[in-house]
Amino acid sequence: MSRTGALRVFAPSLFVFALSIAGLLLGSYWQYVLALSISAAVIGTALAMIVSYARCITIATGAMLAIGAYGAALPVVRLDVPFLVALLFATALGGLAGLILAVPGVRFRSHNLAMVTFVFQAVVIIVLRQSKGLTGGAEGLPIPAPVVFGFRFSSDADFLLLCGFLSALVILPLIVLLEGALGKNLRAVAANESAARAFGINVNRHLIAAFVWSSAVIACAGAIMAPRYRIIDPDSYGILASILALAYPIVGGMGSPWGGLVGGAVLRALPEVLRPLADYLELMFCILVVATIIFFPGGFGSFVTGTFRRKPTKLETSAGPEPRRAVHDFISDMNILGRREVRPPQDRSRSTPILRISGVTKSYGALRAVSHVSFDVTAQTIHGLMGPNGAGKTTLFNIVSGLNASDEGQVLFDGTPLDDVPVESRIKLGMSRTFQHAAVFDKLSCVDNVLIGLGLNDIWQASVRSVHMAMHSQRARAERKAAMAALDAVGLAHRARDGAGSLSLGDQRRLEIARAIVSCPRIILLDEPVSGVSVEEAAGLRELLLRINRELGTGMVVIEHNISFLVSLCNRISVMSDGRIIAEGDPDVVVNDALVRRAYFGEREISA
Amino acid sequence: MLSELLMIVVGGLKMGAIYSLTAIGIVVIHKATRTVNFAHGAFVLCGAYVTYGIVEVLQFGWWAAFVLASLAGGLLAAVVELGILRPIRQADSFAVITATIFIGIGISDIYRLLQNTEILAVRSMIRGAPLFIGDAMITREQIAVVGGAMAVALIGVALFAYAKFGRGMRAMASNPRGAVLCGYSSDAMNALAWFVGGAMAGVAGSFAAPSTGVTAELSVAMVTAGFAAAVIGGFDSLRGALLGGLILGVCETLAAGYVSSAMKNAVSFLLIFIILLWRPQGLFPEAKIRHV
Repeated sequence: MSRTGALRVFAPSLFVFALSIAGLLLGSYWQYVLALSISAAVIGTALAMIVSYARCITIATGAMLAIGAYGAALPVVRLDVPFLVALLFATALGGLAGLILAVPGVRFRSHNLAMVTFVFQAVVIIVLRQSKGLTGGAEGLPIPAPVVFGFRFSSDADFLLLCGFLSALVILPLIVLLEGALGKNLRAVAANESAARAFGINVNRHLIAAFVWSSAVIACAGAIMAPRYRIIDPDSYGILASILALAYPIVGGMGSPWGGLVGGAVLRALPEVLRPLADYLELMFCILVVATIIFFPGGFGSFVTGTFRRKPTKLETSAGPEPRRAVHDFISDMNILGRREVRPPQDRSRSTPILRISGVTKSYGALRAVSHVSFDVTAQTIHGLMGPNGAGKTTLFNIVSGLNASDEGQVLFDGTPLDDVPVESRIKLGMSRTFQHAAVFDKLSCVDNVLIGLGLNDIWQASVRSVHMAMHSQRARAERKAAMAALDAVGLAHRARDGAGSLSLGDQRRLEIARAIVSCPRIILLDEPVSGVSVEEAAGLRELLLRINRELGTGMVVIEHNISFLVSLCNRISVMSDGRIIAEGDPDVVVNDALVRRAYFGEREISA
Repeated sequence: MLSELLMIVVGGLKMGAIYSLTAIGIVVIHKATRTVNFAHGAFVLCGAYVTYGIVEVLQFGWWAAFVLASLAGGLLAAVVELGILRPIRQADSFAVITATIFIGIGISDIYRLLQNTEILAVRSMIRGAPLFIGDAMITREQIAVVGGAMAVALIGVALFAYAKFGRGMRAMASNPRGAVLCGYSSDAMNALAWFVGGAMAGVAGSFAAPSTGVTAELSVAMVTAGFAAAVIGGFDSLRGALLGGLILGVCETLAAGYVSSAMKNAVSFLLIFIILLWRPQGLFPEAKIRHV
């Protein structure tokens, strides 16, 4: 395991460097082509972060390349700065440019974000063209061959080696992040922003980080390659360059960093290999991209892995609930992780509520979705919430978990009001949830879904954890063990490495529960945990929830239409109708309440 | 001084009316099919190229150019929708948007292969002595383009708002599932919306050809201007797009007249940026009525 993990991280760098060494056997022209290819492989890998992982469209690649190229060339030409120093400067400048682009840009998604990148691209090129005194404008800027520690890399072979070495170096951190927690978080953001936020992922900061990293690396690639062009001008970094680069990850494959890497390397070399067809290349390129989108939606990489990937056998898919390990094992694994000590239930007085909802009200226009709702949940409580569709149950959940703001009233967690606590921070307080419409992160494996459930997802933690994962450190192993324990607890350990999107609806709900419990939260909000789940599985889940409640002292609020499930699970039930709570108390009493029966079954049933 | 300003404004209105037409096509397609069409500039280019063929090569009249350019733009758009976008619409917007980007580049490239010249000139629609308001000179062409493009734009707005197929498209826009259940064919409605949007782009190409000439760059220039105009108008409002185009056109000529020609190129980008950040709903957002 450890060895394959390290290989995963180092393989792209090794591949790129090996490519440059193999290129020494080629003639000088092909060495130049290979250098172009390697540079495009770096660009493709950097774009994988934005395009494949975060699924944002960026048309600012050309501008970032230009910023890198001019950012390194100008200090060298005008100030005699050493090449490597200028390279570092250009890379940092690229990161800064990414920040300037992303901070306003990530307020938008899809086409508007694409437009912002387009604007950035256009403005950068206009500025470069206009500032003739500094950049030489449209006439171009001649650049000397790079000199490193007194050695002049002027021949094609020398330059190829330099390019291969520096490229291998610069993609390494990128791969660490992509294969690690940051990459998984970006995929989660692309799959479902609300769910990602509920587990502590600050969506905008993640997207900004993606733009900063990717722009820095693209700028670095531009800076490395610029001296080989001998002369650079703004228009060769124009909109067309950006759009062609966008094709790298799309054609290469969106499933892994390799897609962008190989896509870039191959697509950049094609025009040189197919010289005789030069006139038709751009058109063929466009046809290739559109055909890829239509016929291989995940790119060629996904097509290849899809063909060779192990398919779950019939036996595996149809296997019922597996014999579960005791929840105790799950709890002791949590202790290994050392995140949150398990609080023995007897320590807490029965009366202090973890969650206090008081007078919460929310209106949409004339509709009062939630109207003056109040109730308490203690560590020992499993609090059921039932009521007809449209009663405001899910809206209440969204207010408690912070996805919606309430108009009036307050939610107190452990005595502190949550008004100013953003949704992303609530998992750290110890609050997690599941969703009414199963919101698993479909492009990630089951175990990765659960790893996100740990809630260690602010941007800094995600970066550090990526390094831990790459080094396969003790901490990373403990996290993985905890995630596997949670999967085991819901009976999904055998599907740990399968994509979450390939699970049945019932299994997706169980996965959501695993994701919700893995952080050992103090309160869990479960939104219809057993809808679409078979009777036997529901019984197993009830057992699991009861034990987590008993042994971890985790309070729960459960929305469910399956009334027998709810009655057998909860020790208190509230009934909502038209936004108000119309009954509350012991399960048996509540379900026999006249008002409740009227809300659920209509007027006539009362007399019966 | 004042007359110079007047001339600049009228010149801006001329390009602005063309931008309006382009933007309205983008908005029609977006409203009806929830697709942001980055290939729209290519439809304008197609209309302009057909116009060149009719007016300069075949020496037919302008009326033929308008009819055939709109037909060509519309058919091209419908083919793009039916042949390429319909199969991928099930996937997410990411796939559709990227596809339109590359379709746009691809179509411009086909033009480049067909006609490997820098620029094709097209003669102006109306000749004749210019009119004078005080010292300000206004050409008959300017009046014809502004009037003609505005008329076509208004026809488009009216069709969408009042005609039967407009109702279908609006139904598709607000609730595709519901519209299908009500008997609208989603494929047919989508194709029709693309045809209408493409036809307006084709006419925009006809109006643009005399002043811009026909070049491969027309494609990117017009999609940028069309987007800027649509963004100014709020992206979902036809009337907003109409006004947005005029505003953009006037801002461009003002920038060219009083600042620099580089500024003229940057105006559309700056407007997109400012509007998105300051008023993402646009200057003239469609009144949204929330039903509860």
